[in-house]
Amino acid sequence: MNRNRSHWSRRDVLATAAGAALLPLTSRGSEIESEAKPFPRAKVEHVISIWLGGGMGQIDTFDPKRKGDPKAKVAGSYYDAIDTAVPGVQVCQHLKKLAPMMDRVTAVRTVNHDVIDEHAAATNRMHTGRVVTGTVVYPSLGSVIANQLGAAQEGAPPYVLIGYPNVTRGPGFLGASSGYLYLTDTGRGPSGLSHPQGITADRQSRRESMLTTMRSFARDRFAGDSKVNDYDAAVEQSLSLSGPDFNRVFNLDDEPSDLRNQYGGEFGQRCLLSRRLIERGVRFIEVSHNLNFLNGTGWDVHNAGIEKQHDLITELDSAMATLMIDLEAKSMLDKTLIVITSEFGRPPEFDGGGGRGHQGSAFSCVLAGGGLNHCGAYGETDEWSKKIVSDPVSVPDFFATIHASMGIDPAKYLYDGDRPVPITDNGIPIAKLFGWGTD
Amino acid sequence: MNMRTLFAAAGLAICIVSMNVSLADDRSSPIARWDFGKEETTPLNPHGALVRDQPGPRPPEFPDFNASNNSVKFGGRGARFTFADPGDESEFDFKNGDEISLEAWVKVDTIGEGESVYLIGKGRTGDDEKAKDNQNWAMRLRKIGGKVRVNFLFASKRVQGQQPADAHWHRWTSNEGMVDMKRWHNVAVSYRFGDPDSIRGWIDGEVQVGNWDMGGKTTEAPVVDNDAVWIGSSMGGSDGASFRGWIDSVAIYRGMLDDKTVSSRFNRAEPLPESAPPINARPGTVRVTFEERVASHQVWPEYYSKPEVNPSLNPDAPDWFTSQFLFPRLPYRYDAWGIRESWGTPVLMTAVADVTLPAGKNQFMVRARGLSRLWVGDNVVVRTKAIGGSTDGHQPVDPLPVPPVPGMRIVAYGVNEQIGELVLKEITTTRVILETIVGGAAYRAEPGELMVGIKTPTSDMFSLLQPAGVDQSPLPITDEVIVDRIAQIEQALLQFGDRVRQAKASSQDEYWARRHQFAEQWVADHPAPLVPSNDSAGKHPIDRFVYDKISRVDSSTNADRDPIASRNFQDGVLPILQKHCIRCHGDKDEEGGFKVTSRESLVAGGDSGEPAIKPGDPHSSVLLARIGSDDEGERMPPSAKLTDKEIETLTQWVSAGANWPTTIDTEALVIAPLVDDSTFLRRAYLDTVGVAPSETEARQFLDDKRADKRADKRALLIDQLLSDSRWADHWVSYWQDVLAENPNLLKPSLSNTGPFRWFLYETLRDNRPLDRMATELIMMRGSEREGGSAGFGMAADNDAPMATRGIVLASAFLGTQLQCARCHDSPYQSTKQRDLFSIAAMMTRSDVTVPVTSSVSPGFFEKNAGRESLIKVTLKPGEPVTPTWPFASFHKEPIAISDLVQDSSDSRELLAANITAPANERFAMVMVNRLWKRLIGAGFVEPADDWETGLASHPELLQWLASDLMANRYDAKHIVGLIMNSQLYQRQAVGKNLSAEPSQRYFAAPDRRRLTAEQVVDSMIAASGKPLIVDELSFDPEAKRPPKTMISLGSPTRGWMFATLSNERDRPSLAFPRATAVTDVLEAFGWTGSRQNALTDRETEPNVLQPGTIANGVFTSWMTSVSNESELANLAVNAKNEDSLVESIFLRFLSRLPNDSEADEFKAVLDDGFDSRIRSPGEVIPVVDPTPLGRVSWSNHLSEEANRIKIEMERRARDGDPADPRLNPDWRMRFEDVVWSVVNSPEFVWVP
Repeated sequence: MNRNRSHWSRRDVLATAAGAALLPLTSRGSEIESEAKPFPRAKVEHVISIWLGGGMGQIDTFDPKRKGDPKAKVAGSYYDAIDTAVPGVQVCQHLKKLAPMMDRVTAVRTVNHDVIDEHAAATNRMHTGRVVTGTVVYPSLGSVIANQLGAAQEGAPPYVLIGYPNVTRGPGFLGASSGYLYLTDTGRGPSGLSHPQGITADRQSRRESMLTTMRSFARDRFAGDSKVNDYDAAVEQSLSLSGPDFNRVFNLDDEPSDLRNQYGGEFGQRCLLSRRLIERGVRFIEVSHNLNFLNGTGWDVHNAGIEKQHDLITELDSAMATLMIDLEAKSMLDKTLIVITSEFGRPPEFDGGGGRGHQGSAFSCVLAGGGLNHCGAYGETDEWSKKIVSDPVSVPDFFATIHASMGIDPAKYLYDGDRPVPITDNGIPIAKLFGWGTD
Repeated sequence: MNMRTLFAAAGLAICIVSMNVSLADDRSSPIARWDFGKEETTPLNPHGALVRDQPGPRPPEFPDFNASNNSVKFGGRGARFTFADPGDESEFDFKNGDEISLEAWVKVDTIGEGESVYLIGKGRTGDDEKAKDNQNWAMRLRKIGGKVRVNFLFASKRVQGQQPADAHWHRWTSNEGMVDMKRWHNVAVSYRFGDPDSIRGWIDGEVQVGNWDMGGKTTEAPVVDNDAVWIGSSMGGSDGASFRGWIDSVAIYRGMLDDKTVSSRFNRAEPLPESAPPINARPGTVRVTFEERVASHQVWPEYYSKPEVNPSLNPDAPDWFTSQFLFPRLPYRYDAWGIRESWGTPVLMTAVADVTLPAGKNQFMVRARGLSRLWVGDNVVVRTKAIGGSTDGHQPVDPLPVPPVPGMRIVAYGVNEQIGELVLKEITTTRVILETIVGGAAYRAEPGELMVGIKTPTSDMFSLLQPAGVDQSPLPITDEVIVDRIAQIEQALLQFGDRVRQAKASSQDEYWARRHQFAEQWVADHPAPLVPSNDSAGKHPIDRFVYDKISRVDSSTNADRDPIASRNFQDGVLPILQKHCIRCHGDKDEEGGFKVTSRESLVAGGDSGEPAIKPGDPHSSVLLARIGSDDEGERMPPSAKLTDKEIETLTQWVSAGANWPTTIDTEALVIAPLVDDSTFLRRAYLDTVGVAPSETEARQFLDDKRADKRADKRALLIDQLLSDSRWADHWVSYWQDVLAENPNLLKPSLSNTGPFRWFLYETLRDNRPLDRMATELIMMRGSEREGGSAGFGMAADNDAPMATRGIVLASAFLGTQLQCARCHDSPYQSTKQRDLFSIAAMMTRSDVTVPVTSSVSPGFFEKNAGRESLIKVTLKPGEPVTPTWPFASFHKEPIAISDLVQDSSDSRELLAANITAPANERFAMVMVNRLWKRLIGAGFVEPADDWETGLASHPELLQWLASDLMANRYDAKHIVGLIMNSQLYQRQAVGKNLSAEPSQRYFAAPDRRRLTAEQVVDSMIAASGKPLIVDELSFDPEAKRPPKTMISLGSPTRGWMFATLSNERDRPSLAFPRATAVTDVLEAFGWTGSRQNALTDRETEPNVLQPGTIANGVFTSWMTSVSNESELANLAVNAKNEDSLVESIFLRFLSRLPNDSEADEFKAVLDDGFDSRIRSPGEVIPVVDPTPLGRVSWSNHLSEEANRIKIEMERRARDGDPADPRLNPDWRMRFEDVVWSVVNSPEFVWVP
């Protein structure tokens, strides 16, 4: 079989290297490379990624515009806007705790994509940063970071999800070792690593002692079988991770009750748990804010769903502000990047029931902490927060910014078997946030 | 009361007189007429929501029409057909003095009060270049006072300054109108322009009185220009002017119609008065018939003549006979090949039985989801309403219904309950008929828990209605009875489905018999390699081939080798070369003329002539320089740099002289001993039926000392297991992976397919031959969304779905990777982009082009200067690719493929035949290699789905098995049985064949395998004896959404039946609390419900979640808890002593008896309090059922209550079932701990 692959010998390579600059370079990736500029790097160690399932309306939160009137169907914001710590940057009135802290926050107002019909598809886009191809199952952001950096401390899982498991959050071609542990209830540890209901320490130790006998027989029965031995080692590891040492991290009662109250309800407790998890060495945490108790529909505020949207915003505001203050107090804010994403935004117009549909042409994602050069807001939309006026940020660009902040080269390749897959789809980090490049 | 049989009343015949439509005079000939059959004589341009091929007026209601007469549905919002005016003075232009008639058949779907919607008109199209008020003529429908009236409209020339501003509009409207929507009506108008009194309108052939109600009577001429004729809309497509409903036979005449002509047009048979359908019962059973595609789910089909509506005349869906009036689902529907098909909805289901009723007041209860009526004799005793209601998610969670009698099972969610009564003077046997409409255009054909109950005068409880003549006790409608009955009915339906499917599939048997004769002949003409004659390793052909290879190894070459260096090379160096180099520089492939397969080839180097290594001198070795280079243009391998450790290992090896010991892992040559009976037993069960044997099965096999003496004990067990129907449950999951079955419970996205799992399962259940399975898959038949092989053809969110299907087919059946060829030629294989798209074209049955989004610009992936791109794009986007078989070289010799197919013009069938033809031995070899690998742990060829690089370890044996498969009707069970009967299969699993290179793969022993995820779950269920009870996998258990947006995958009972639970919306209300507990285990062990790509080898690396989920997961806690009335509880209660109890647990979970130290330890734990473990009856506190929770579905999932309910369900799932109160809690917990530690043994998850 004759195939054209590399026919270069060492001599050929050396001979042509000098002429390399003359070769046509068509891809964008090549151009970046040829600029020979280092990509911006920051030294973030952890990410807490808050997911606002349903689609946060940027015009009602981080990109407020002139007020509209849902009854008269006059397009515009639902709420008043207020000033923030950054001159010229406003947010909606219900983000009042975050407003004075916006100097440590950047609302990226010009994120955009084209998948707005189906939540699952948009969720996939905003977790993988990729278009579905049918030939590669792309990993989620959390899985890429888990894969590239591992856990921050020995004995901690790299990636924890506080929310429902689904494929868009998964490791794709990177495989199970880059997957998440998940939990849906902050009162308990992750599924599979916290003891079942009613298993006391006594019972656990009785169980483990009998298991020791069983394991020893299994080792004999399959003597010398490395696969069985590896599995047995995983048994050991799992017993240790589900033991008291790691599971202490889930004991939120250890926190001062004042602080717990400031964090607020279940979503706030999830944020508090996230802080404890990063202290314990978890690298990437996704926290889902879509518990549906406040308005049923969560952030997917069609029709009457919008009537209680302000409760969601208020809850996000106090949990996020408390998290930032808490991290700051523990000198962890600079090494922790907080990210807020959502599957898409919402249009300025109101639907028949006074709520809002979906919008992908421009929406806001938020970055906070992580020692970035924050500027309150980045990118500009038109008077309806509908079209991008300046500084568009593609989903790959937004992902590249997060990777760069962690010190991961966003142009680096991962490998799906033999197939090279760049970490982002030609994303370019937002230079301004790194004090790198000037505009 | 005198009960008559129904047939006594059915004697009345309706005489339908067929009238000829007279076209006596010229004026009756239209200048244009559109009947919306297949092709219009006058071409029309469609716009917007038009649906063609909808039933039009048809006999028997309209005897003048053809039985297949079709119409078009107009969806409103500007949906229309348009027709350009031919020009000035055209026959569509009308001036003063001209006569016009307009006529149409219409069926209105919706029309608002005061709305005027266009049927047909000329002008007023909203064309910017024309006047807005250029209406030459129009016929419209106008609803006033609830009556839909016929309406004629035109505009005359507007006079400047005339008041009112619309005085130039002239509108005539009939005084009366249609009141019954959704029926076919005929409307017509005639008018002589300039003569206001000439106006005449008709509805259903009857002349209508009307008024010029706008603009008044006028003699003015209409405006005329060259604007278009529109059907169904006007005014630029304004919704308010758009017709919503069906139109047929719309015509324009020049001339006046007369009353007689119009009246003759409308010939509608009168329906019979409501009466019970004439249908026979079969004594002692409930007969169920199915009539598909009835007109509406909201109204009863109207019977026009009795004999023709006998619903049992549906030959495609045979009658089903059952024992009581309880119908949890429709039987499955199969196409002519026995492939799962969707019901044509709505389905009119009729259940009939003769029933004996006692004297006095009988109450009848119907629970049905859709429109129903219950006939008892001639009387409708109970009716229920049609399905309906909003599914927008914002509905409230209804309070739980109160059953009519306390203690009764409550009515299922989304099902109506109605009760009626009938007083009888004496005991009577009469005919009872339930008619019900299941599904609808926007509803799935799932009846819910459909039932008829009866409460007799002497009973205080409703029981299921049962046929007369059956000696059966009443079946009270309680949870216990209904759940139990449904399980029995499900079994009966499964068998009924088997019979129907197999009968239909037999239509293809003759064809396949010919195919298999052909294959046999092929094998006779192309004989397989001879089985080696040496029988020192047994008489089985497999063992002879295996032994033959081992015996040919001259292990004396090992004698003078340094065993440590040899070990270092085999374990350290060789795996690195195999992993990173051999793919491109192997024996079959020599990139740059260079092989990394021997010391000699390395020293010789490649085409460049430079040695790759200089033994002893790492610094002058190009190989080391290139693997160590940081320059991506130079580095090898080009993909990823080797680790430092790997580079170090290779460097040391070169330094030490680069010795390449030609052997031979002597361990790999040692033929492993045969396993004992308990090991064989567990292994054989897992490999055939997917679960370990039950305690009884294990004891039977192990204890039967008499049988033990029989040499064929194991062979008998193999035969028995191969005929076990659980075979299908075990093997289906393998094919789900290999064929990328990827259904989603809601709107398909992320490369979702349909749930063709049901096709696969039934194929395996029927043991259809592998070539037939592949063919029927490729033909993509039956239901796309509900389980046919057509579901394979879907790939949502994908710009070239058939290309992705081609990738799957090639890897599954040909061991060929086309993944890369989706966007460019494969860099590591010889396949080209054109190969893949040729296959896609064959599947599409026409030329295809590569979408722009499926191509890459050259050099995209290679950002490195200095290295030639691995990526070549040889097929331009937009370039047509024809349906041609691209892999002619796979055929051993050219054959006339069209002789093998039933329709040689069908490229899809040609594709299937090219893949499965005996000349394509690759197919047979890939199949046997897959079966072999699943049983032995490594293939002859690896990877099993990519044959490009790997050589076969045993080419003769592979060939021999492939021939044997072909000669035996491509029967997978034949090959599996053959392998399992070999000594090789029955040896200790200490082989390392998978990691050995082909030449050193001997199969002296099989490899160790871990249980698959499904086996872990299924075996745990089987061992504990606790049935799997999880949520129905559907977001819409009310079946109020069509399969296009939501499906139900039923309530899983085995691991393979799960799917991704896809809660991308992150809403508790959309969670499946119990199913999640199972998918947690499945996912930890390598299952994925989202199979976007084909997968042959799952990840088997151990991870912490695997033991974690068994130790701590919710599912295992259900399986190991000694819950109320569970098998484990009964086992504990009935145990003779601790020994027997521990034995039972070991046999159930590990298929072996405990050894002495295990027995002692567990016995000691259970000993304390064993005798007092059972509480005295006075101490037993009966278990109280938990408070029932409200019901959640898509329709109400946005309510806060829905979230609360699901969170409570999650809590309950975590808590598990209540403990058995008969047992002393302290002892019970110790017993649970024993079970826990047995199931957590690593032994549980390994095939012994």
